Amino acid sequence: MLKRNKLTPYLYLFPAFAFLLLVYIPIFQNIWDSLYEWSTFSPDKVFVGIDNYVHLFKDPVFYQALKNNILYAVISIIFQVGGGLIVAAVLEDKLIRKFSPFFRTVYFLPVVVSMTVIALLFTFFYNPEVGLLNQVLKMVGLDSLAKPWLGDSNTAIYAVIAVSQWQSIGYIAMLYIVAIQKISPELYEAAEIDGANKFKMFFHITVPQTKEMTFVAVILTLTGAFTVFNEPYILTGGGPGTSSEVLSTYLYKTAFSKDMMGYASSIATVILIITLLISLVQMKAFKTGKEDA
Amino acid sequence: MKKTNLILASLLSCSLMLGGCAGKQTSSDSDTGKTTLTFFHRWPKEPEKSYFEEVVKEFEKQHPDIDIKTEAVLNDSYKDKIKVMTGTNTPPDVYFSWSDEFARQFVRGNKALDLTSYYKKDSAWSSKLVQSQIKPYTVNKKIYGVPVTMDGKMFFYNKDIFDKLGLKAPTNWNELLNVLSVLKKKHYTALEFGSQDTWTISHYVGTLNQRMIKPDVLSKDYNSKTGTFTDKGYVKALEKLEELVPYFNKNTNSIDHEYARQQFSNGKAAMFYAETAEIKLFGPTKFKIGMFNFPKVEDGKGNATNLTGSPEGFMISSKTKHPKEAMEFLEFLTSKQMGEKLVKEVGKYSAVNDTANSSNSTPEQLEAVDNILQAKEMAPWFDMAIDARIADAYLTGAQLMLNGDKTPKEVMKDVQKAAASVRAESKK
Repeated sequence: MLKRNKLTPYLYLFPAFAFLLLVYIPIFQNIWDSLYEWSTFSPDKVFVGIDNYVHLFKDPVFYQALKNNILYAVISIIFQVGGGLIVAAVLEDKLIRKFSPFFRTVYFLPVVVSMTVIALLFTFFYNPEVGLLNQVLKMVGLDSLAKPWLGDSNTAIYAVIAVSQWQSIGYIAMLYIVAIQKISPELYEAAEIDGANKFKMFFHITVPQTKEMTFVAVILTLTGAFTVFNEPYILTGGGPGTSSEVLSTYLYKTAFSKDMMGYASSIATVILIITLLISLVQMKAFKTGKEDA
Repeated sequence: MKKTNLILASLLSCSLMLGGCAGKQTSSDSDTGKTTLTFFHRWPKEPEKSYFEEVVKEFEKQHPDIDIKTEAVLNDSYKDKIKVMTGTNTPPDVYFSWSDEFARQFVRGNKALDLTSYYKKDSAWSSKLVQSQIKPYTVNKKIYGVPVTMDGKMFFYNKDIFDKLGLKAPTNWNELLNVLSVLKKKHYTALEFGSQDTWTISHYVGTLNQRMIKPDVLSKDYNSKTGTFTDKGYVKALEKLEELVPYFNKNTNSIDHEYARQQFSNGKAAMFYAETAEIKLFGPTKFKIGMFNFPKVEDGKGNATNLTGSPEGFMISSKTKHPKEAMEFLEFLTSKQMGEKLVKEVGKYSAVNDTANSSNSTPEQLEAVDNILQAKEMAPWFDMAIDARIADAYLTGAQLMLNGDKTPKEVMKDVQKAAASVRAESKK
């Protein structure tokens, strides 16, 4: 009787293990697939070893996409994490606390709107002839800055990145608001008595006290930046040419429109390695898990 | 007792989870003894959606023993999805397919049923189809698809503007450039073009290739096993497209085809290169619409008159358990009655003879049908005629060329590279 009792907890865990398998089997299957050359039409897979990776590391479009992802990451860290913290600090400031719920909603609203709707909205916004952006630029006399934002190879990726910032800053700001509310008000009071100004309080109290949240936000935005798909896919489809291609849109095109499944699997593996590395490095750097004040 | 319950419960929860993943898709007979056909097309949008719904309803009424399950996803996602679905063990019985290379890939992968015997057996039905539209579904003299619609790409122009300026529809390239430059001098947007989606570029490129390059060279290059794309005509064809750039609206790459169409139908642009199926989408315009085929090019070595355009149709899965019923459905879909309904309700042209008439079409639509029927030869949509990997290199390159970021020669160099790797692979 006792022996059987010992088994019970494992039986409870069994569904969890089955679930883990469902998550991890596809990942390993994908790595395995990347060693083959195959398409949905071909009846058999041809083993090619690391050929797909050799091609990949010689593929200029891959580097273009990787560069765009890195741009995405850098800009997202600056605007979403940095900007989000500033927005949160301002909203939690005593002076505007009264209106804070209103602004919180305003900032958070884009987060709940579907990306498809947002992308459609921004295609109008960026339209070179009737779009709001160029109209405004022309109204204030900055005609020379008006551009076909999504149609110009030099600006397309930045135009796409900007949409993501617009959408996600509210989310990160919301995370920071929660973190700031957890900071004990005594710290600020003490600082005030010592004669610290708002900037000093921000850098010496708010920033270090929300370190743990910064870690979460950085992970979120970084992995988000390397797996971003909707925005470039809907806004530009990776174009013009391949100028706004990111890894996941390139993966999608390779797999489903060019039907090179093995090659696409190798791109997926690279994305996996990149995101895995990022999380590992950050876990080391931030020594997460311990909330040390 | 308790323990067994526990074990049962946990096993049950697992099997539920795993069972949910297995995904049961039936193309087999349901419990009622009815034959179930799955039908997969690419129009989750109106007006086609209702049209197909009504056709299916009508068919089920006439065949009470057949049940049709319809599924639909939009255009680009359709291209991706159908490739995956035909790779599974339960592909749809009847599925939409573009013609030419798109259809050929199903044939090569043994995913499509040979319909030749049905064509022969039921000649009362097959002889009523527009015969030129069957060829794009024919591979090695065997027919693998049933064309439902036919289409052609033509230049549409604003007759009011042309009359005011005393312009005539051009018959060759130089005349076209003349017309365009007159329009531009009079401050009209001469030729509206939205090239954000690369397929719009492929229609220009494909037609220009037809005009510039000898047919036998083209058919050699469009075949993925032998394509090299080294003929000088390809560069010239792209240069011709470059000649049009000054007359296009600005920033073609940030405008999509729908927006461009609106500009034309609102009278903001004088000319527009569009499919005949789009006439209905122009809506009622304040001006009269004229049309002409892509003019011949003086120094071109290719076919000077053929019309670019392909039928769209359906294929039957090679794995279907009910080929007879599936074929019955396709024959019903391409009956004269359903063809007339298609023209009337959708505004596309049925690949069944004598289905467009003055009661269901505008004069412009009838003119378009005449153009398609009279075309001695049709050229397939370029992006459907060549391997997707070559098309991708070709069109993303051409898109950059329109921005001035690439020269025609550079574009063709990339195309040749893509063609080489496709060639190497198809020999494996």
